[in-house]
Amino acid sequence: MLDNLPVLSLIAFTPLIGALIVLLLPGARSNWLRATAIIFTLIPLVLVLLLFAVYEPATGGGVYTEHSTWLTIPLNKEVLDMKLQGGVASFNLAFDYHLAVDGISMPLLLLTGIVSTMSVLASVHIRKRWKTYYVLFLLLLTGIYGVFLARDLILFFIFFEVTLIPMFFLIGIWGYYGREKAATRFLLYNGLGSAAMLISFLILIVTLGFSVSEGSNFLYSANYDVLLGNLSDPNALANIDTGNSRYFGFFLSDNARWGAFVLLLIAFGIKVPIFPFHTWMLRVHTEAPPAIVMIHSGILLKMGVYGLIRFAAFLFPEQLQSWTTVLAVLGVINILYGAILACVQREFKLVLAYSSISHMGIVLLGIASLEEVGLQGAIYQSVSHGLISALLFLIVGSIYERTNSTNLSDLGGLAKAVPFMSGILLIAGLASLGLPGLSGFVGEFLSFLGLFGSMKILTAIGVLGILFAAVYVLRSILSITYGPLPERFAEMKDARFIEALPMITLAALIVLLGVYPSILTDLMQNGFNGLLEQIQTRMGG
Amino acid sequence: MSTFFAQYAWLVPVFPFAAFAILTAMGKGMSKTGAWIGTIATFASLVLSLCIATERLSGNAEDYSNQFTWIEIGNLKLHAGFEVTNLSTMMLVVVTLVGFLVNLYSQGYMKKDERISTFFAYVALFTSSMLALVLSDNLLTFYIFWELVGVCSFLLVGFWYQKPEARAAAKKAFIVTRIGDLGLLIALLLLFWYMPGHALDFTTIHNVFDSQGGGAISTGITTLIALLIFLGAVGKSGQFPLHVWLPDAMEGPTPISALIHAATMVAAGVFLVARTFDIFDASQVAMTTVAIVGAFTAIFAATIGLAQNDIKRILAYSTVSQLGYMMLALGVGSVTGAMFHLLTHAFFKALLFLGAGSVIHSVHTQDIREMGGLGGKMKITAWTFGIGALALSGIPPFSGFWSKDAILTAALDKQPILFVVGIIAAFFTALYMARLFFLVFVGKQREGQHAKESPSVMTIPLIVLAILATVAGFVETPFNGWFGHWLTGGDAEHHASGLVMVVSAAVGLLGLYIGWLMYVKGTIRRDAVSSRMPGLVTVLERKYYIDELYQWLFVKPLQGFGKALELFDEYVVDGIVRLSGYSVSALGRLNSRLQNGQVQTYALTAIIGIVILIVAIAGRRFW
Repeated sequence: MLDNLPVLSLIAFTPLIGALIVLLLPGARSNWLRATAIIFTLIPLVLVLLLFAVYEPATGGGVYTEHSTWLTIPLNKEVLDMKLQGGVASFNLAFDYHLAVDGISMPLLLLTGIVSTMSVLASVHIRKRWKTYYVLFLLLLTGIYGVFLARDLILFFIFFEVTLIPMFFLIGIWGYYGREKAATRFLLYNGLGSAAMLISFLILIVTLGFSVSEGSNFLYSANYDVLLGNLSDPNALANIDTGNSRYFGFFLSDNARWGAFVLLLIAFGIKVPIFPFHTWMLRVHTEAPPAIVMIHSGILLKMGVYGLIRFAAFLFPEQLQSWTTVLAVLGVINILYGAILACVQREFKLVLAYSSISHMGIVLLGIASLEEVGLQGAIYQSVSHGLISALLFLIVGSIYERTNSTNLSDLGGLAKAVPFMSGILLIAGLASLGLPGLSGFVGEFLSFLGLFGSMKILTAIGVLGILFAAVYVLRSILSITYGPLPERFAEMKDARFIEALPMITLAALIVLLGVYPSILTDLMQNGFNGLLEQIQTRMGG
Repeated sequence: MSTFFAQYAWLVPVFPFAAFAILTAMGKGMSKTGAWIGTIATFASLVLSLCIATERLSGNAEDYSNQFTWIEIGNLKLHAGFEVTNLSTMMLVVVTLVGFLVNLYSQGYMKKDERISTFFAYVALFTSSMLALVLSDNLLTFYIFWELVGVCSFLLVGFWYQKPEARAAAKKAFIVTRIGDLGLLIALLLLFWYMPGHALDFTTIHNVFDSQGGGAISTGITTLIALLIFLGAVGKSGQFPLHVWLPDAMEGPTPISALIHAATMVAAGVFLVARTFDIFDASQVAMTTVAIVGAFTAIFAATIGLAQNDIKRILAYSTVSQLGYMMLALGVGSVTGAMFHLLTHAFFKALLFLGAGSVIHSVHTQDIREMGGLGGKMKITAWTFGIGALALSGIPPFSGFWSKDAILTAALDKQPILFVVGIIAAFFTALYMARLFFLVFVGKQREGQHAKESPSVMTIPLIVLAILATVAGFVETPFNGWFGHWLTGGDAEHHASGLVMVVSAAVGLLGLYIGWLMYVKGTIRRDAVSSRMPGLVTVLERKYYIDELYQWLFVKPLQGFGKALELFDEYVVDGIVRLSGYSVSALGRLNSRLQNGQVQTYALTAIIGIVILIVAIAGRRFW
């Protein structure tokens, strides 16, 4: 059924269509706007689920790919002709429209579908300018799906940027008191990251992207597969260090490789975020509206992880291999720094922000392992953390609606007033501290297991993080839900159906992933083959 | 011979789990029915466990195991599975039996609590996790249920969540045991990477570390793994220095204390060491550590027990102390002794806690100084509690005597000092139990207390446990090593030692006698010790200041460090960001000041620029 449809494009662009429709609706009809937004968030979710149902890991997802030439820009053929002393038939710069899925992006697409749906449901708490809100929301969604689907560097970059602008406004308009500062900080940091990414991508396009096809057609390509192909092809110009080619910059020298690698690390490291690039996300966590933080913490941070694996790891396995210790140390710093700071916060949203830093550190450990277990663990942890923090912020939103505060010293005893929400909060918290049977444990365990083979001491230090996790999770959640109930909360109402629905869905998924991890691990089979083979050959050779 | 029931052993944890699921899904709508669902499910588990036990007792049945692949990554497989051995069968029976009786008892004890169905749901999950832990065939599955047991005890300790003390105790229980869990997790990672074929199942562990294993894993790593596993057991089984959570866990409802202290949570640690005993056996250092920690904990906790006034806390410290005995047994190589004591202790400690619950239920206080003369009004409670106290004090022919005797004999064989420590601890045990019993049940009744016997749903479990606490010791006496042989498959390791039997019985009786003289007869004044050595008593009352010590040693420094780090994050990490932001805008402002419309300024700027250019170009020659 899916074979005849450009399903990947549909996933990426239905939210955009939805945004256009929302634009045409009258702005005062909040129900219409909401319904449209929900429908156009659900369509991609359904498509992703269909894709998940027919996806066969054994094929590596090659079946579902959409590829066409998008832009071909003719370059100055004469200059090249002169330098090469003739024989240049054409000289072009080509950008492709190339979408694909594989074992790495599939889990993240699922995550996006689920979290975005829960987030649009949680947007009931949005009180003003619904129309603009939903337009930006849907636009953001197109950007996110695009990022996980795009296989052309320029296309990827465009989608990546598309996520920034709506985010900026969503934080800046619908956030709390410090929203404008937070939005500016968000844009500055991410803009910086994008700049680094762009430079690195340009280096890659003019070297790894360069190829000569039959009949002396010279071409710069931004297609990811072309880049990967050239990387492993010893005859590709990027891999040949001849004096002549130096003038053209086709050769990707060791230094250039390192430069591009480090730039990618910074670009995606800001997004993850890796210490010390994390301060922007603290503000976003505290100032953005909870429904948007669900997207931010649940999905956007994972774009960083995805970028690190897709580009930094797959294109520069050698560099990554010699920097695994650096990455692992950064991971351990993230884990402990985030965890210890989470232990002393008074504001629940900050506890969660720092705990995100800590959990993303575990992802770094998984990547640093360069073992299949660890890499799968990194993705698993990303998905799991996405679900958990989406759930946590969902509850934060609902609690704030009722109490006007998420400061730990203002809250207490809520288990008496809102037992359902408190129960779900406890489940989310336990998942966050890595309780087996819930998704958090699997991701952490696989990541630790992967890294432990090569770096025992570092892993053991990182494992300490789960002790601190117990401290900050219990400290904060128990002070919200346990203890005596203050008088002023006595009349509080428990979750409405529209709030309870996403809470139950997310909690159920967290349990499902904790009990039956094969759902995701089977999906990721073969996902890392390319990278692992590269590393294998390097080890062998 | 046959493994008919054994292949359905996985159902044993499933019954209570189903009860948990039903109770959670149905919510509060079914308070009374809910309680029965939990009880009946546990009863079903008990029946099945007994069937399995009968099957295995009838002959030398093969161990039955079954597993499936839980996670498969590349060519690496992580399994989940269950295994029925004699050791796990014994645990199944103990857990389901005590669990069932606790369920029954709670019907009465928790009757008036509005969250009774939640309570039974938690208890069912707790029992289910423990049963699954017992059945686990590999360390990963074991670890998963180990953590679930921990979280259930957290939930139950904090069951009365509105009490700040309960909240603190629940938090403490979880965090302190998690320190131990880290050890177990790292041990698990070590085993995964060092074991041939990444095997984590207990059978392979047994084969590799057994004396025939041929040194596949170096002694250093073996010791490390053993000590890390032991760290896990120390946390779970409340051994020194991680014992601090266990007495605080008294904040939970009393039936839960019985469950935690007798059959489930704390037994898990001892069971873990017994299950992975081959690793310990391969490392002398590890064995010595286990023995010393066990012996020290036994005497250390017993002395604290002497000075406590809360009925449940006295029993809690006695649990810590008795678990110390079990560890001591493992450390001197007697798995039988440890498991035997676990068995008898499960019965008499459950009995004592439920008895204490019956007392508290009746007089609504936990302070033994406010009790007295309850024996007349609460005959069944008093008699059964008395039997439990005698068993705990190691008075023949009650069960505790035989199991303690087995441990002490093994200790004497290995190291006389450990034996002496064990004997002294036994004396203290008898003394604090005498104090407890006489203060509560004998003497004058307090005015205004209208004590009356608890309903039969609570006393029947007491009677059953009292019978078990009396007779359970006869499965393994120095004259009959049948239990040890059945449990470990080896020869009876336990030889009759008249000396040990006489000494340990005498010490127990002496303790009781002194207690009688002090608290009934009055021959020895009650403040005989406290008036002479007030300092010592205070130290004991304050539990050697361990909590305070940890507060100063770990909690405060960590908080301080966290605060410092917060400032660092705010002013250094974020400061640099802000600084770079400011410096750009400051540079902008500086430049905009040049744009002031005065031609002179522009000319000056231009000249300066030209000079710089000239200097730069001309200067190039010189470098």
